[in-house]
Amino acid sequence: MATTTATITLASSDIADNALSISNTMTMTTAGTTTGITETTGLARKKMASTTLTDLITLNSFQDITAQKSAKVYIKNTGTATDKYAIIGIGNSAATPYTIGRLYGGDWMLFPWLALPVDGDGFSASETDDGTYGHASNQDITIDMSDDTETIIEYMVFFE
Amino acid sequence: MATTTATLTLSSTDLLSDALSVSATQTLYKAGTTTGLDGLQYERLEVAAGTEVDIIDATTAGANKANKVYVANKHTDETKYIEVYIATYKIGRLYAGDWMFIPLEAAAASQDISIKAITTTQVVEFALIHEGKTLTTAS
Repeated sequence: MATTTATITLASSDIADNALSISNTMTMTTAGTTTGITETTGLARKKMASTTLTDLITLNSFQDITAQKSAKVYIKNTGTATDKYAIIGIGNSAATPYTIGRLYGGDWMLFPWLALPVDGDGFSASETDDGTYGHASNQDITIDMSDDTETIIEYMVFFE
Repeated sequence: MATTTATLTLSSTDLLSDALSVSATQTLYKAGTTTGLDGLQYERLEVAAGTEVDIIDATTAGANKANKVYVANKHTDETKYIEVYIATYKIGRLYAGDWMFIPLEAAAASQDISIKAITTTQVVEFALIHEGKTLTTAS
């Protein structure tokens, strides 16, 4: 098994009267175990130059990911413009995905991903049968840029 | 203005053939500016099992901003987890020891962040670093 860690440090000396200092390290393990995650997409880069809502990570493109486990997704907007952003969402890019938030230039995010394929019976039914792949409403990771300035987005998925 | 940074270090010596070492640091700015975020909510809660509960409310003052959210499951039994929802849409699980850090657009009042502890009561820490929050009139 592999040992992969993710450490966050949130720090500020002046956001409050006392300094803010949050530091936390997680070891990425398979769901419900102490066994390290052994699969990853590796660090990928994608050039975005359009304001069209699209998939950044398509669930159907790597069907070996197991849904409803402990997958994690890292995304970074490598741009430097702090007034331009990427809206990251989850769901169906052909419809209206659920928006998570805006990654401005230099921002990053790391979050757990259910990676659930959602079939035509709807979300609840899919949770029961784990669905099947290739459905439009899969929990894809979507992206929508604030303008068409060419921007590199980095991402990486850790999964089992 | 405040200066707050969020630094991530991803590392492994044996996940890939070569060592993995990714580091990223961001300064937390207000939307579209280089002015630091200056609002902070930082809490630690015991969350009883079985009910989805809001931990962060999306409010009008924070809508379409560059809010950042940190959530950590401080439970120690690796078999236990919490589910994380945005606008009641389940996005993933945080097992004991896991954390997440995301931007929160909060475009609609319904875009709250909620969690559900599965199987047992679990301790959760979370922080919202924001540039505005609509306060509720006292009753």
